[in-house]
Order: sequence, then C-alpha cells, then structure tokens
Amino acid sequence: MLFGDAMLFPKQMSEVELIVPSKDLVAVAKALSGYGVFHQVDSANLGLDSLGPNTWQEKAGIYASLERRVQSILQTVGLTEEYPDKRDIDSVADLGAAQAEVDRIEGAVRGVSDKLSAEKKRLELLESQLRQIEPIADVNIEVGALGKSAYMYSILGVVPAANISRLRTSLLRVPHVFFILREDAQKPVVWILGPRSNSDVLERAAKSAYLNPLSLPEEFGGTPEQITATLEREIEASKKKIVNLETDLARLGGSHKGQLQKLLWDVHISRVMADAIVRFGQLRHTYVVVGWVPTADLEGLTARLKEASREILIETTDTGRSGHHAHVPVALAQNKWLKPFQSLVGTYGHPSYGELDPTLLVAFTFPLLYGAMFGDLGQGLLMMTLGLLAHNKIFLKGLQSLGLLFAYCGASAAVFGYLYGSIFGFEGHLVEEYLHFHFEPTWISPMEDILNVLSIAIDVGIVILIFSFLLSMFNNIRSRDWAHLLFGHTGVAAFLFYLCFLALVFGGFFGSTALAPKIAVALYNLPIPFTPLLAVFGFFVMFGGFFRNMVEGHTLIEGRGIGGFGMFLVQSVMDLVETGISMLSNTLSFIRVGAFAVAHGGLSLAIFALAGEEPTPGFWVTIVLGNLFIIGFEGLIVYIQTMRLHYYEILGKFFHGGGLQFEPLKLTPSEEEA
Amino acid sequence: MSGGVFGYAALSTRARAMYSDLFSPQDVARLGDAPDFPSLVGALKGTPYGKYISGLKDGEMTPRRVIHQIRTRLADSYSSVIQQAPGDTRPLVRQLFRYFEVGNLKAVLRSISTVSSWNSDLPAWERVREVLFPFGAFESIPAQAMVEAGNVPAAVELLRGTPYETAISFAMKRYSAEQNLFPLEVALDLDYWRNLWGEVKNLQNKKDRDMAGKLIGSLLDLNNLMWVIRYKTYHNLSEEELINYTLPFGYRVKDEDIRSIAAGADIAAVISRVHPDIPDVNALLERPQSGLPKLELLLKQRVMRQCVSAFIGDPFHIGLPLAYLLLSDFEIQDLVVLIEAKYSKLADAEYRPLLLKTTLIQ
Repeated sequence: MLFGDAMLFPKQMSEVELIVPSKDLVAVAKALSGYGVFHQVDSANLGLDSLGPNTWQEKAGIYASLERRVQSILQTVGLTEEYPDKRDIDSVADLGAAQAEVDRIEGAVRGVSDKLSAEKKRLELLESQLRQIEPIADVNIEVGALGKSAYMYSILGVVPAANISRLRTSLLRVPHVFFILREDAQKPVVWILGPRSNSDVLERAAKSAYLNPLSLPEEFGGTPEQITATLEREIEASKKKIVNLETDLARLGGSHKGQLQKLLWDVHISRVMADAIVRFGQLRHTYVVVGWVPTADLEGLTARLKEASREILIETTDTGRSGHHAHVPVALAQNKWLKPFQSLVGTYGHPSYGELDPTLLVAFTFPLLYGAMFGDLGQGLLMMTLGLLAHNKIFLKGLQSLGLLFAYCGASAAVFGYLYGSIFGFEGHLVEEYLHFHFEPTWISPMEDILNVLSIAIDVGIVILIFSFLLSMFNNIRSRDWAHLLFGHTGVAAFLFYLCFLALVFGGFFGSTALAPKIAVALYNLPIPFTPLLAVFGFFVMFGGFFRNMVEGHTLIEGRGIGGFGMFLVQSVMDLVETGISMLSNTLSFIRVGAFAVAHGGLSLAIFALAGEEPTPGFWVTIVLGNLFIIGFEGLIVYIQTMRLHYYEILGKFFHGGGLQFEPLKLTPSEEEA
Repeated sequence: MSGGVFGYAALSTRARAMYSDLFSPQDVARLGDAPDFPSLVGALKGTPYGKYISGLKDGEMTPRRVIHQIRTRLADSYSSVIQQAPGDTRPLVRQLFRYFEVGNLKAVLRSISTVSSWNSDLPAWERVREVLFPFGAFESIPAQAMVEAGNVPAAVELLRGTPYETAISFAMKRYSAEQNLFPLEVALDLDYWRNLWGEVKNLQNKKDRDMAGKLIGSLLDLNNLMWVIRYKTYHNLSEEELINYTLPFGYRVKDEDIRSIAAGADIAAVISRVHPDIPDVNALLERPQSGLPKLELLLKQRVMRQCVSAFIGDPFHIGLPLAYLLLSDFEIQDLVVLIEAKYSKLADAEYRPLLLKTTLIQ
C-alpha cells in the first residue's frame, strides 16, 4: 500500500483508565506528562465528586507564580528562556527551596533593576523638560522670574491649536497680552500675561481651554538658554549611569544563568505536573486518571507507568474507527511535506475520529487545479524557487509557512506550462521570435482551443465530484450512518440522481455543443433508461428527509403541525429543485479551471500589447514587470479560486470536521506553540 | 464630478426608500399602546426592526439587549450611506457616525471609573458591551481592552493612533489633577463637533455645503444652547469657562448669543430671539429639572422639522441621507423611551411627553 492507514485516517486511539495509589501520585504524573502522548480527560467530566486535592491546587498556583517570576527575572537580565537538552524529570521541585532560591536571585536583581528604572524615569523627565523649553529657547528672559512678579501674572503653556481662538475670546473682558511663542498645527506654545489682580480669570480661561502649563524645573534657574545647557549636561550623565546599571544587570545574568535555567525547568515541570494532578479524580486512597493515547504509543506508556508504580491498575480499551466517536480526541499523522495542506484542511475543519482525513486528497487536487489554471513553465519554476527559498527561510521569510505550498503549486504550474506550451507568457511563434528556441504545446494550447479547454475542465470537475460522492458514501459506511448513506444529500440516491442528471442535462441537452463534457456524453450513450431512473432517484432525493427518518426510526415528517402535509410537499419539491440547481452549479463551477487557463494567456497577451513589438530594453523591462505582476496578482486570484473549489465543491461533499483535537500533556511547548 | 444627479441618483432613491420605512407619529403612538414590554417587543417584530430583534431568545429579551439590537439598524443605515455617498462627502458622514463612538468612549471611561462599585460576578466588559452602540467595522477604539485596562490613564494610553488621541491627551492633565471625567468628556465633545463642522466646510459642492450646514448647524445649535444653559444653571461656571466649553458656530445660534448668555444676559430672551416659536421659555427655565429636558425636546423637534424639509425639492444633495440618518436616530430615541417605560411599567403620562414624534403632531 502506497499510503498507510495512518495517512488516510486519524491515528487509532485507545482509552486508558488508571487507578493510582496515593504514594505514586507524583511518579505517575511524571510518566504521563513527560512524553507528549497522553490526552487527559478532566475528572470533573467523569462525575467524580472529589477532584484533585486542594493542596495540589494551591501548589499549582504557587508553581505558576514562581515560573512567572523566574521568567520575569530572565527578561530583566536579558536572558532567553531555554530548556535543557537532556530533559530530566527528577522530581517535583521542593517548593520551599525553590521559593528561597527565587527570592534570593530576585532580591539581587531587583536592587539593580529598580535603580535602572528610576534612572530611566529621570532621563525621561529631563528629556521632556528639554522638549518643553525648546520653543522658548531664544527668549532672553529669566523664566523663573516671571512667576515672582508682584503685579503681573503669567501663564506659559501648550494649548490645543483648535482652542486658541476661543481662548482669546474668553479673555476679552480682562486686559492681557497673548503671544504665540511657537506656531504648531497641533500643539502651539502660548504665553498669556495680565495683571495679577485678574489671575483667577486668566487661570480659569487657560484651564478651560485645556492649556497645559510648561513644567520647567525649578532647580534650574536662569534664561532658557542656560537651563537648556544644564539639562543637556544632566541628560548626558543620566545616560552614562544607565549604561553602567545595564552592564551590572548583564553581569548578574551571566553569573546566575545556570541557576535560573535550572530553576525555570524545575518549576515549569512541577507546574505542568501539578496542573495534571489537579484534574485527577480522587477516591479514598487512590486516584483515578482517564485519558486517551494513540494505540501505537500505548505499549511504551504502559511500560513507563508500571515502572513508576508497581501497584498501578491500567485498563485500556481500543476504540474502533467505525461508528460515532465525538468524544475521542483526534491525532493526525504529522508529515512535514504535507503540512501546508494539513493547514488548508484545518482551516475548514478538524477531522473527527474515524473520518477520512482529506489532507492527502487535497495534496493531490490543490496543486493539480492550481497548475491547470496558472500553467506557465517559467512562472511556475520561478514560483517554485521562491517557495523553496521561503520555506528554507532564505528569502521572503515572512511567507515561510506558505513556502512549500508555493513550491508545489509552482511545480504543477510548470508542468502545465510545458503541456500548454507557455513560458513567461511567451507562446507559439513568440517563443521563437523573442527567445530563439522552439517550444510548442505538448498537449493543448488554452488560447487556441478555448472551448475544448472549458469542456475538459468540466470533465475534471465531474471526476472530482464523483470521487467526492464516493468518499462521502465511504465515510457513511464507516460511521454506519445508513440513513445518510442511502438518502443523504451525498448518499447513494443523490449520487445516482447526479449520474442521471449528468447524462440527460450535460450529455443529452448540451451534448451537441462544443462545451459538452465527454464523460457526460459517454454516459448518455450507454443503453440505460436515464429518464425514468431520474424520476425514481429524484423521488428518493425529494423525500430524502422522510426516508432518512424512516431508517433512523424518527417521526416521519418533521414539524408536522406547521403548515400541514401541503407545506411538507412544497418543502420536498423545493429540496429537489435545490439539489438539481446545486448539482448544475457544482459541475459548472469547475469551468473556472479552464477559464483561468485561458485568462492566463489573455493576461500575457495584454502585457505583450503594452510592451510593443521591438525587443528594446523597454520591451524586456515591461515583460519582466508584467510577469512579476502576473505571478503576484493572478497567482493570488488563482489561489483563492482553488481554495474556493476545495472548500465549496470538494470538501463540502464528504468532509464534516468537528473533531476534538488531541492535546497531550507535555513538558515543553512545541515549536509552533513557542 | 462627485455630487449632482449622477452622484446622488442611487443614494437619494435609497434614502427616500429608507425614509418611507420610518415610523409615522401614529405608528409610535400605536407602539405606545402595547400593554407591557413583551407585547412591545412582539409589536416591534412586525416592523423593519423585526429582523434585528428576531434573533434574541426569550431569555435574552432585556431592554438593554433589545435597544442594542435596534441600534444595529441605525449602524447598518450609516454603513450603507457611507458606502454609497460621493467620495468628498464620506468624511462628513463618517464623522457624523462617530458621534456614537464618542458616546461609546464616554461610556467606557465612565464604566472604568465606576467599575469598583459594581457588585457583580460578570466581568466588567460583559456589563459594558451591552450599553455600547454597535459601531461594527468602523470602530476605532479598542473598547474591550480599555475596559480591561482597569484605570483611566491606562485606558487612554490605548487611544494612541485613534482620532481622539490629541483631544484626550490634552485633557488628561486635568483629569489627573481633578480625578473627574468632566474635562475629558467636554474635550471629546468639543473636538467631535469642531471636526464635524470642519467636514461640512470641506464639502466641495455648494448645495451639499448649504444643506449639511443647515442640518448639522441645527444640531450644533441644540447642543451649544443646552451646553451653555446647563453649565450655567447646574455647574455655575464662569464666563470664560462657558466660552471655552462652547463653540462659535452653528445655523441659527450665533457666537454673540452664546457669549451674551455667558456674560449673564437673560437666557429666555436669547432663546426667544433665536426660536420665537418656542412658547413659555421663562416657565421652562424657572424649573430647570423638568424644564430643560422639555426645552431640549422642543429643540430636537426643530431639528426634526429641518430634516423633514430636506426631503422637499431638489433631492440630489447630501442633505437627504443626512436627514434620514438623523431622523432614524430620533426615532430610536423614541423607541428607547418606550422600551424603558414599558419595562419599568411607567404610566402613560410619565413617558408620553418625552416622545419626540408623537408630541410633534400635538
């Protein structure tokens, strides 16, 4: 078999129930947390009254707090969080010792870091004072003396530009002088001067106009020029002090690095284990732990659990893939080459247990449809190269996660480009004329055989849709959902109705047109009485809900009281009409594959029309820019179209999703989580 | 050409269609006849608001939720007008819509300063979100993060890069000194109306500018008058403060009117000069607790009349959609009165005089 069961379905899971003696609590928690294979079920879901002991809840809280403190110290001294290569899980850290150690290091670090933050604040203040005095730097008066005048009252400050006119109006009733010291679109600096006897009016006016007085340092006397010089000296000294304190902190970090990394690891694993223990169910002298393990890892985990506790009782139950298993967590096989397609499927939904994982199918159809729409040997190879560079973080690092997808789609586009005879938009005689070599379509030229390309696209759609119907039926058989298998929207009756529909509509009605899909025509020519069959299967589709209820033993007509039998008939007819319309639109939807292949050629022609005919440097610049535009613009549109075809026409037919994600206990975060 | 027949053909038709969907005074009176809150909601389900409240389950039918859903219709109307309005008028409609965001911002700030007094298991944000206007995609303030910030300075920090940053950063100094939201709210209001008036003046088409000036100016008149009267009556502010807390523009109310009130002139005389059709102004001002809401209602009805008159004559200007949006807002104000009244089981005489539409025809 080319692909094992593991690639097509979520991993087989086993349910594990453990009875753990109290004395082995920690050892078992270590065994369960340390290997990333055990998905714990909260004992609260088991109906056990007594959950994890309160002491463990408290411990979990204290470990979490210690972990945050260590992380904060690491950040303060400029160290990154690192977990040891050799992941020892000796024991749950001794709380008292760990706390004392954290207190000691934190005390040493805080002494310096507090000074550092105080100095930084001081620097900020000095810089803000310097900025405030800047607008009046060339005013040759002693600023401090303004406030000391016995007869004059002065306000110097920044005011919202929009308020200036209103502020002036509000001062009209008292004698005053109003200067704008600095014109600024947002924050002009103004100076208001008036008799001290009117100080209350001046103050109220300034305050209600949102004038923020400049807070000049009282300790620095003299003219603005002299204050500026003093402030600049202070700022220089403060900066030096900050550098020295930062060096001290770095030195502290260096000397405590080993201890901090060890502490972080100890409190981290202790916190993870305490979190797990809190969710254990407690009986009188034992604990109950329930969870899920991939069957392939069960043996290893059992051995480790027995090593951790000789008296542990382990009960395992294999879970078959058939039937409904909404509560079983779903672990998917990890394959780095299929990761982009797994993400695409994941965006649509997480497979449920026992359901076919469509990743492999999407890995085949996505590049196929993309390449068919964007067929160009040169652009495809360029896109593939860019994808590989992005994937390996050499270029376009931000697109690393999409790198492989670009590479696959680029490779497929290159293959189709070879089949279409298109290279960087050059097709037919243009290749010989401008590139001086012979290159012609090895299969078909979309621009010269438009109707044929569109017809082939519909054929491809029919094949994919038939395959999707079959996959849906396969899923229904596996989940033993006989009602939907026979009478569901993608069940046997609907599938046979679709075949009859194809034969009569696409093979018969449109059979003589150039667009007629060959599969439908071939089907129509089979000696089968499609018309009566269409009526028979149409009947089953029309009353699908009725028959499904019959198979499942439910009330035959849902919502019987609403509208009566007449309404039921109307709804059934509408169901049939809707099925017919969606089958027609689903099939025709694939015509876009051919249409985009043609549009790609058309867009290239437009670039050539812009470039002109003579192979001048301008011509080549236009061709290069045009190609880049096509890769960026059309490449994105084709990507959206391919995704749309998958989400609406393909996955929607057989994939339901809604599975519970497998989230094993583990001590270190995965690369993605990190 | 951004305006004229081509620019407004579709929008004016749509505004007229939406206008015809507004309640008549008789409709509002009929809604008022509903015996209780559930019957009122039931009656609303058969109106254009029905689709907005039909999604609420019976257990969710609280006045706050129903009002929130009803306001979604106004948000949709704004969104639709913004999308269809000619390019140069969009900033004006957007700024007008921002009125509700300023309201949200004030509600968020008030919730932060009162949250410690709440005695509830519900997280603060859950309590606040229901009273906020459903601003949708146009929202520029991080309301939830602000509420969760827990204190006003930290919440205001989150306004960086929003249209409110400058106005509120100036007012923050006063907030820090006074620990009172008044300066922040006044600064936001002044900034909002100044910008709105600025957008009116920025309109390129004269007809647009005139119509918008008439409608927005009338709204400004209403606010300016109510501000100066309330600040003087309730807050006892000085002349210079009154001048700084009001605006020098509007449609009928001139700067001299505001300044004369600030300087101590007889308020009733000023109002009677600006709106000679308002009867018994002295009586209204004598008992401010009941008189000022009544005066505000009368002034709002004058704005409503301006809005209705926008639908007469040449329809190809921004006045039509603006008038519809304002009328729609007034209608929702009526519905809020009805909902609160029915929920609190108020007697007809207590709430009917507060309805804008029904009292308009009396």
